[in-house]
Amino acid sequence: MSIEPMRIFFKEIKEPIRTTMIGNYAVAGAVTQTDPDVICAFPITPQTQSVEGLSDVVHQGRLKAAFVNVESELAAISYSTAASAAGARVFTATASQGYLLMSEALPMAVGWRVPLTMMISARAFNAPNLSIWNSWEFVLTDYGWNCIVSENVQETYDAAILSVMISEDSLFPTMFVHDGFIISHSVQNLTLIPDAVVLNLTPKKPRHTITPEHPGTWGGIVTPSFFMEGRKNLDEAKEPVLNIIENAFKRFREATGREYNLIETYNLDNSSKTAFITMGSMCGNIVSWMTKNKDVGLIKIRAYRPFPYEQLQKIVKDHNIEKLIILEKSDSLNNLLPPFSSSIATALYPLGTLFRCFIVGLGGRDVTRDEFDIAKKKMEKVTDMKGKLYTYLGVRETKDKIFEVDT
Amino acid sequence: MLTPEHIKEVLKDHTINLRFHARGGQGGVTASNLCVEAFYGFGICQPRFGAERMGSPTESYVRLSANLDLIRSNEQVYSPHFVSVLDPSLLGEIDVTAGLPKGGWLIVNTTIDQLTIQETVKRKDINIATIDATRIALDVLGRNITNTIILGALLRVSYIFTFEELSDAIMRRFTGELAAKNIAAIKQAIEETCIYDIGLDPDFTVDTKVPWQQLDLGLPGYKELDKAGVWYNDEEVISVGSNQVNTGSWGEWDVLWDEEKCTDCAQCWYICPDFAIVRKKGEDGLWHMAGIDRYHCKSCLNCLEICPVDAIDKRLKQGPAACAVPEEEGGK
Repeated sequence: MSIEPMRIFFKEIKEPIRTTMIGNYAVAGAVTQTDPDVICAFPITPQTQSVEGLSDVVHQGRLKAAFVNVESELAAISYSTAASAAGARVFTATASQGYLLMSEALPMAVGWRVPLTMMISARAFNAPNLSIWNSWEFVLTDYGWNCIVSENVQETYDAAILSVMISEDSLFPTMFVHDGFIISHSVQNLTLIPDAVVLNLTPKKPRHTITPEHPGTWGGIVTPSFFMEGRKNLDEAKEPVLNIIENAFKRFREATGREYNLIETYNLDNSSKTAFITMGSMCGNIVSWMTKNKDVGLIKIRAYRPFPYEQLQKIVKDHNIEKLIILEKSDSLNNLLPPFSSSIATALYPLGTLFRCFIVGLGGRDVTRDEFDIAKKKMEKVTDMKGKLYTYLGVRETKDKIFEVDT
Repeated sequence: MLTPEHIKEVLKDHTINLRFHARGGQGGVTASNLCVEAFYGFGICQPRFGAERMGSPTESYVRLSANLDLIRSNEQVYSPHFVSVLDPSLLGEIDVTAGLPKGGWLIVNTTIDQLTIQETVKRKDINIATIDATRIALDVLGRNITNTIILGALLRVSYIFTFEELSDAIMRRFTGELAAKNIAAIKQAIEETCIYDIGLDPDFTVDTKVPWQQLDLGLPGYKELDKAGVWYNDEEVISVGSNQVNTGSWGEWDVLWDEEKCTDCAQCWYICPDFAIVRKKGEDGLWHMAGIDRYHCKSCLNCLEICPVDAIDKRLKQGPAACAVPEEEGGK
């Protein structure tokens, strides 16, 4: 990148600015605007520039935050959780193996109800080979974090601000995800929000504190007579979260004019009553492809956790969708379906909608019009829910043969 | 010959795709970023995702259109209409015209004439523009950074943005004197670009992506991997991953091995991060040092440091990679 990529954030942003930026720097900028107190993360490709950008604004003096260097992702999430429990507004970021290393402390952030935000630049896990490229690693574990997924640089910039709103209103930690490299390293157009508007959307509220006047214990041991009550308490606290997210989207729209929904839909009243359903950067590929393929729709999941089951059911019912083509950038070696597809299948269960899951784009494999053409064609032949419900698409079977594709 | 009006019309309902070839450190990615920054419509710029090192060949891609729906795609660019090459040494090393449709433009920083370029890239159906960007860079900027200058040549033939739009983008990106110098260099580049027009324009309505191109057919399929993820250096290596990468072209130095002095202690073999020290089993059943794998040696010089008998030496390459090293860091 060029000299001082964060320069635009060194001064107060007084009016909306249209500019171009990579996803990671855009996130760093948005986080700067939310005025965090603590930034603590460990670098990992393809997340790196987000934290690097923040170190720039802290160093330059624009942002008065504690920029804490730690020795690992486990330390980063532990430090961040504790800082958040002490009342600070905290940002952290990771990807792939770093997310795995965080696993031990991820449930604690949920259990303590800390309003932490974390960016994830989705990247494959290292198996069987090391890959720094994009897959969805974040879907494979679910510890109760809120999760919103972005399609492009504008969305991930906005998500950094929305996550702070959602975290602090719900008192659950929120991760916001963009596809590694595809969004994190792509330069796209975006419009920045004025600082005053961001601060207005994310006022600092009194939350947790740790003080000697009011000592407490975090995460102390309980006997079997208490643990389940704690879990049920969390379960009930999760119930209003989707409403809180919708409300955050609404306030965001009123302040910026940009509209987001838990689920976004395109061209659902089409002739084939078929729709793709997916999330992240692939949605953009499908929208472009749909300019020439008008007989199929798209359902884009923006809020992935908590999963908007009822909203999805309503959309499928209202538009009489008969078939769904699920595209997922993760696989499951053991389960009937990979995690994202499992959530959709659960939602569709009472409706009996036909679907198939296509596993695409693992480890940075480009997802192109070829995949969409074939998935659509394959779906035309599906008439029941028998047999294997998922397949891989866009993989070489042998040197000259593509798996389950006749060329 | 393309006209500004024609390009504007094309951009309404189609995309115009660009590709930049450079070497790490020459600023090819910055050049492509500036295209998005300067363009009045919507744009997306993707670097070829992966590791970039000083001197290694880099690629970046740009897609531009006035139609936002077309720009929402994150698909990689497979058929660029304009290819810009910042380093002439790449012409022989990389297939710079891959995916370039007939009537497409190849823009090269070089002093070679266009007919020779045509022969080098073996294409007679493309337009070629050349610019001696290196000389302009040294004259105006005082250092061999040609990325903004090539944009001058690009805008001269493509009309995707105007000089004023590009200047504005430069001023947003660079500060003070650096911005002024770059703008002056671009102005000079627009005047000095040599155009070899074959009288054929690219057809922007057709996308020439080969179906399933992204799968790299020809490499082993999943059924042909007997143990995914594991391979041994001494066995026939499956040509995946780093084995395919000509890391040898990245280095500044040629590493030289003196067979006379070598005692076969194998310390270099252990320390080499790229298995670029070649060894062979002799008739005595023992391993002996056999040379250096220049295709993979990126001249980290670990071997030179560790060799106890000075059997390894270095010599500055006169070739392409040395050009990518700024002068103040010892490059030529």
